[in-house]
Amino acid sequence: MTGSPPVIVAENLTKEFRVAERGPGLLGALATLFTREHRIVRAVDGVSFEIPAGSRTAYIGANGAGKSTTIKMLTGIMTPTSGRCLVAGIEPYRERQRNARSIGVVFGQRSQLWWDLSVPDSFRILRRIYDIPEPVYRRNLRLYRELLDIDALGTTPVRQLSLGQRMRAEIAASLLHDPAVVFWDEPTIGLDMVLKEAVRVLVNRANQELGTTVVLTSHDIGDIAAICDSALVVDRGRVVHQGTIQDLLRTADRRSVTFDHRDPLPLPAACEEIERGLPGVRASEDDGGRIRVDYPVAAFTSRQVLAFLLDRFDLADCYAPEPDLEDVLRRVYERDATESASPDQPAAPVESGAA
Amino acid sequence: MSAVTRARRYLPFATGGLQSLLQYRSMFFVTGVTAAAGAAVTVFLWRAVYAGSPGAGPGGFTAAGITTYLLVAQVLQVLHANRVDDEVAAEVYRGDVAVMLVRPVSYPLVRFAACLPVVAANALLVGVPVLLLFSFLVPMTAPTAGNAALFALSTLLSVLIAFCVNLLTGMTGFLTTNTWGVRMLKQSVVAFFAGQLVPIALMPGPLAAVAMALPFRGMVDGPLTLLLGRYEGVAGALGVLAQQAGWAVALAALSAVLWRAATGRLEVLGG
Repeated sequence: MTGSPPVIVAENLTKEFRVAERGPGLLGALATLFTREHRIVRAVDGVSFEIPAGSRTAYIGANGAGKSTTIKMLTGIMTPTSGRCLVAGIEPYRERQRNARSIGVVFGQRSQLWWDLSVPDSFRILRRIYDIPEPVYRRNLRLYRELLDIDALGTTPVRQLSLGQRMRAEIAASLLHDPAVVFWDEPTIGLDMVLKEAVRVLVNRANQELGTTVVLTSHDIGDIAAICDSALVVDRGRVVHQGTIQDLLRTADRRSVTFDHRDPLPLPAACEEIERGLPGVRASEDDGGRIRVDYPVAAFTSRQVLAFLLDRFDLADCYAPEPDLEDVLRRVYERDATESASPDQPAAPVESGAA
Repeated sequence: MSAVTRARRYLPFATGGLQSLLQYRSMFFVTGVTAAAGAAVTVFLWRAVYAGSPGAGPGGFTAAGITTYLLVAQVLQVLHANRVDDEVAAEVYRGDVAVMLVRPVSYPLVRFAACLPVVAANALLVGVPVLLLFSFLVPMTAPTAGNAALFALSTLLSVLIAFCVNLLTGMTGFLTTNTWGVRMLKQSVVAFFAGQLVPIALMPGPLAAVAMALPFRGMVDGPLTLLLGRYEGVAGALGVLAQQAGWAVALAALSAVLWRAATGRLEVLGG
């Protein structure tokens, strides 16, 4: 992803909403008949970032990042209060229709297909709207047939499809006109493992053959891991991390090891022994009756923890799961909160060699 | 980009709309029965009013003339029930309008294209059968060929006005969540000031003057004035058409301006 020119640029992007203030209860509701008080809410607070062309980026953000609002500005639905953004050189909200030709969108909660029509009928309409050339249309349909089993959806009206079936069609529809950028806004993909893999292959193909840029916002860590190669973490208007997902995981400050052993020692006693032997470590029973050891990477290396366990227990099995992306993100946000609370204190380095 | 290319892009919304519509065939039957029942009540009521006057009764209508007026008014009302107000209001309220805005098309034009099959289907599947049915039951005035042609043209303009009125009604969804109330209000105002409930010719002077100046007049009273030949010379007929065309253009311009303003400050779509 280095070297590619940015296809998306956001400069100090800000969006404020006016929200009607309403008192609690019936009296409060009645009061709004006579007075209207408004409060300004900043959904997007001065965000600046660049997304390189041809990347598959997860747009991850906490407070003030306003993921969906940012997507709405990038797709031209909303106009920023201040700042600006560019998608493939166009300011989307100024030239909405021109921008719409070069982007594809999936809004997880809304369907862009024709509710009463079948998926093939919806695609035929999209073909006309986007003036998709015959060879492109044929090629993409063949691809969807092969990867997404789109033919299985047949002539069923979209309203009668299951969520997974609909999501497949939505994803295909967003790629049908070979857009330069696709935005998938919380597509809650609802697909099983096989189809998730198919979507991944589809995106990879579009990505490699056409250089399609993918921007995904999601709460589902699984979706992010399956589709994206890089992450853009925005908090309070600042980019706190931009790089590969692997790099992001490496910033985890806690690791864990889960193991089972053949010693007759009862579980609470085993946990106590670990916590005594490795101060600062937390040992607890996991769902499967095994022992889970969480340790801060600042205090112990994986080697120290494993050596201790091998020394004390007759291990039956043992594995070290990937650091939890959710944990990493929570940590990123928390660090940010403490930093802004005490600006004169230098932030502790979170990077560590343990991987 | 040429106008033809642009228009072609909206055609699929019309054909798609027709396809969707055909899934709900029984709906037309229900609309037809409702329209026929409504027409029956008003027609027999007004025929009783005119029963005592053998020649021209109140407002210069004959019994057959008022029957024709009320029946065609009912059909025009069915024609104007293009559902644009319901659908725009619902899409704005639910935020589905966002999906429309990520497409390379103008939303008001999409709505116009999508309502054409509804209007055509209402005309063919409800309007014509209801008129035919009543033509066997009660005496009606047969229009001259010229008046029928003027009526057809005027009806097309009335469809444009009805589209704009319904689009503007639906767009109140940006301001209020209670679009149901607004739609009810619109329906009553249109029914009254269009001359659908009571012909404008029968209204007291000042009220009639107000009704004649409003755009709603072009929805029912305008076409019927031409159908029944209740105008004075060519100038009179052109006057009716010109007023309709003027309102259609004005309302379309108003819709475009308000639509631009509304989307410019679009907020209520959820985070």
